[in-house]
Amino acid sequence: MQIQEVFDRRRFVLLDGGMGTQLQQRGLQPGQKPELAALEMPDVLTAIHADYAAAGADILLANTFGANTRKLADTGYLVEQVVAASVACAKRAAAAKEALVGLDIGPLGELLAPAGTLPFGEAYDAFAEIIRAGVTAGADLIFLETMTDLYELKAAMLAAKEHSTLPVFVSMSFESRGRTFTGCSVESYGVTAAGLGADAIGINCSLGPAEILPFAQRLCRTVPAGVPVFVKPNAGLPNPDGSYNMDAKEFAREMQAYAAIGVSMVGGCCGTTPEYIAGLRESFAGRVPARKIPISRSCLCTPVRFVEVNGITVVGERINPTGKKRLQQALRDGDSAYPCTQAVAQAEAGAEVLDVNAGLPGIDEAATLERLVTELQAVTDLPLQLDSSNPQALARALRVYNGKPIVNSVNGEQKTLDAILPLCRKYGAAVVGLTMDEKGIPTSAEGRFAIAKRIVDAACAAGIPREDIYIDCLTLTASAQQEGAAQTLAALARCKQELGVRTVLGVSNISFGLPCRGYLNTTFLTMAMAAGLNLAIMNPNTPEMMAAVRAYRVLTAQDKQSADYVAAYADVQIQAAQITRSTAPEEQEKNGDPLFEAVRRGLKAEAHAAAEAALAEKDPLDVVNASLIPALDLVGDGFEKGTIFLPQLLQAATAAQAAFEAVKAKIADGGQAQSAGKGKIVVATVKGDVHDIGKNIVRVILENYGYDVLDLGRDVPPERVVEAVRTTGARLVGLSALMTTTVPNMKATIDALHAAGLDCKVWVGGAVLTPDFAKEIGADFYCKDAKASADLAKRILG
Amino acid sequence: MQRPVPAAVDRATALRYLGASGWQPDAASVNLLDRAEKLVRGAATPRAVWRTLPVEALPLQGRGGDLQRHLQGCREVTLLAATLGSQLDALLRRLELSDIALAAIADAMASVLLEQVCDAWEEELRTGLAEQGRFLTGRFAPGYGDCPLELNDTLCQAVDSVRGCGLAVTPQHLLTPRKSTTALLGVADHPVTGAKAGCTTCHLRKTCAYRKRGTTCFSNAEPADRGRENCADSGSI
Repeated sequence: MQIQEVFDRRRFVLLDGGMGTQLQQRGLQPGQKPELAALEMPDVLTAIHADYAAAGADILLANTFGANTRKLADTGYLVEQVVAASVACAKRAAAAKEALVGLDIGPLGELLAPAGTLPFGEAYDAFAEIIRAGVTAGADLIFLETMTDLYELKAAMLAAKEHSTLPVFVSMSFESRGRTFTGCSVESYGVTAAGLGADAIGINCSLGPAEILPFAQRLCRTVPAGVPVFVKPNAGLPNPDGSYNMDAKEFAREMQAYAAIGVSMVGGCCGTTPEYIAGLRESFAGRVPARKIPISRSCLCTPVRFVEVNGITVVGERINPTGKKRLQQALRDGDSAYPCTQAVAQAEAGAEVLDVNAGLPGIDEAATLERLVTELQAVTDLPLQLDSSNPQALARALRVYNGKPIVNSVNGEQKTLDAILPLCRKYGAAVVGLTMDEKGIPTSAEGRFAIAKRIVDAACAAGIPREDIYIDCLTLTASAQQEGAAQTLAALARCKQELGVRTVLGVSNISFGLPCRGYLNTTFLTMAMAAGLNLAIMNPNTPEMMAAVRAYRVLTAQDKQSADYVAAYADVQIQAAQITRSTAPEEQEKNGDPLFEAVRRGLKAEAHAAAEAALAEKDPLDVVNASLIPALDLVGDGFEKGTIFLPQLLQAATAAQAAFEAVKAKIADGGQAQSAGKGKIVVATVKGDVHDIGKNIVRVILENYGYDVLDLGRDVPPERVVEAVRTTGARLVGLSALMTTTVPNMKATIDALHAAGLDCKVWVGGAVLTPDFAKEIGADFYCKDAKASADLAKRILG
Repeated sequence: MQRPVPAAVDRATALRYLGASGWQPDAASVNLLDRAEKLVRGAATPRAVWRTLPVEALPLQGRGGDLQRHLQGCREVTLLAATLGSQLDALLRRLELSDIALAAIADAMASVLLEQVCDAWEEELRTGLAEQGRFLTGRFAPGYGDCPLELNDTLCQAVDSVRGCGLAVTPQHLLTPRKSTTALLGVADHPVTGAKAGCTTCHLRKTCAYRKRGTTCFSNAEPADRGRENCADSGSI
């Protein structure tokens, strides 16, 4: 067979069936590695391939599923040896029947970060090694299968595309709920794989023909017309002992349903044998695959979240350092906790996409954007809008993004289009085009429309589908250019109608320089939605703007039966707006200390409000020292005595945290040093360890006491801790580890700090740590819990 | 293989994991517990794979005396790998950023939920074996007593946990996703109870909070595996 037949789809292409069970039936012993069959039992392996070829398989998958450096580690064989021998066996069997040979690649067997500890780059390298070997061995195509993590699939696809010119077939395994183990949906898989340039996209393993069918139908609707779809189901569902009941006949009968849905390649997975493939040959011989009719849709996604951009979609604007001192400081410090907190808060407020911008003078934008994307996707399942015009930053961020993002932005300048559109194409990203060019922003709607048209033409020419193009007609500040709003909206409406693209606006720009900005923002947002706005870049924490969005969805019949609206507002009571003239400050209630009480009782919202009230009169440090810390001390003492329990201590901590947000905002507004000034502390969960809730509790408590805590996260290599201590000058470093096997990395971190000659004290904690153990690994202190850590900080830093 | 999500989290045990056994939560705290339970049950996707093998089919020699004692008199051993899935990990990471009190409660509840999933699975297995006149020990996991965590590698490979339930072992022999566990259960033709790993081989014996209170982490009064280096972590709090 010629590979072109796969893409012509004039007949059904047959794939092969199960390999592991075949090897076992033909002599593979328990404990013997199936990956080594080509070296230890080559004739048996070749015979299995030959039986599949004789049964009618057009594509034989070499026995290279687990031929990666990790699984071969203790075998004494190299990846190249195993791949070469395995591909050779398949090719020998393929020759007589002119079948093609696929380099078969399965998951590496370790979870990628954040679920596991394997870095994306290392996964890429491991796949690249197999792919180079497969190309050398003469494979006809690359077949990535049984994938359950979209991120691992992406690493493998990039490796395949960058180390070979062979067609790349990809396949994931779904559970009966229609998601993979890691929660990836069929749609997210389909658009991401297609965007990254998969040549054929399929589903294999886990389920039988009947269970996979609805997912294959969804995949056929998702994958672009030019890309074939295939299935390799198991022989039904497994019995508890791992065996399968469905015979070849029944398998072939159930597979018939695939003829009509647009699938053009069929085969089998676990429990299937050459007999099953022969059965498929019989039922599919002479039949022409039905045409696949995909739905054209504008979408963005992560593995878990698939966002279709039809009506109005809210893009959270808060992770952009422009004009935000706290975020600027966090980006300079390399502190991910703050932007991550912002991400979670925006998601809770109703954002559906998050804008991420790391453009700040004096920092390495490319490295920062890449880091932010990695950290943010560990805590949010919202798709990201990568906000930069720096091609290096975009390239790095696009590479590590898990799913289909949107790039913000290109504009009408040819050199920007030339630099950024190919990146969007390569990584399958949607793109925002700003209606401006080297001459600036045209005043008129016509001028902006002309640029939009140029951008759309260039993007289409670069191979970006029209549904992935979003035009920003640019919001101008009403206080400066009052006629501009009408021009923006007129241009937006034309782009939608005449160019058939999606639209985007940064809504809040409208109100710069005017008081009560919320009024203007909400009104402009409403006008823009009516004109056809799709992506509103805005602050989702503004209740009235979110209300406008939800109300608009009701009034345009997008929110069916007003379900979302009711869910959001059923239990909400709107107080008459309290409009306070700032010339007449209200007398604060002086009844006791409301902040102290709110923190002590663990009331989050009350604590925030009480802190804001207190800050209107008092110095931020006074508020911390007079109310916050005494309340925390009281609760902490109770905890130590056993009269207060951990959940209560933590509720008080959460309330204090809310109060501290107000304090920090006040300090930032005043333009003073960005801290309560009690000293800097670095905390980290050491390399190899992913259990970090203890460390996170310690962070919150220390922050509550006014310390500046730089939290490096989990699975942190020693050199990053050294670097952080060096740049911040922190005098106290906290390390945590849960397991005995990661404590050596704790010691390595302490050794590295000592070797660097840094003047800092180290305290350690974690389930397996004891005071003796702490001493043994060179730590200065051991703390059994967060309270003890705060006491230690007081002792060392004051 | 997917396993059912237990109908409710055993709150008493969750509170014990949090060191709050005697606590009477007020209305706001009850609300927090309710929210945590709903979130945890919603994000958990329990899955398990298991396999029964002759004891000699596995390299169990030199894995410490506690495991040997546990499997004494058993000709076969059932290996279990179970997880609540990676989306639960993601939930916990999110909560740790937005509300640490909610996060700590959810974390403890997730550990309990995982134990409940394993208990239900074990009960099914035990009933099935009883019908054949066979018997089962309790669950013993790498990290108990003097049994090294390295055994996780062998165990997960033997049940193909990556393919079967999405559970993988890190180079440091930790289980990922975080809320995952492994276990070995002895199978015999005569009644067996298995031997719990005692305190003598536990490296926390000097500082153990349970021992200070005159109990153990495996006694009936406090059956949690907290303090042990099991996989259902509760962090160091």
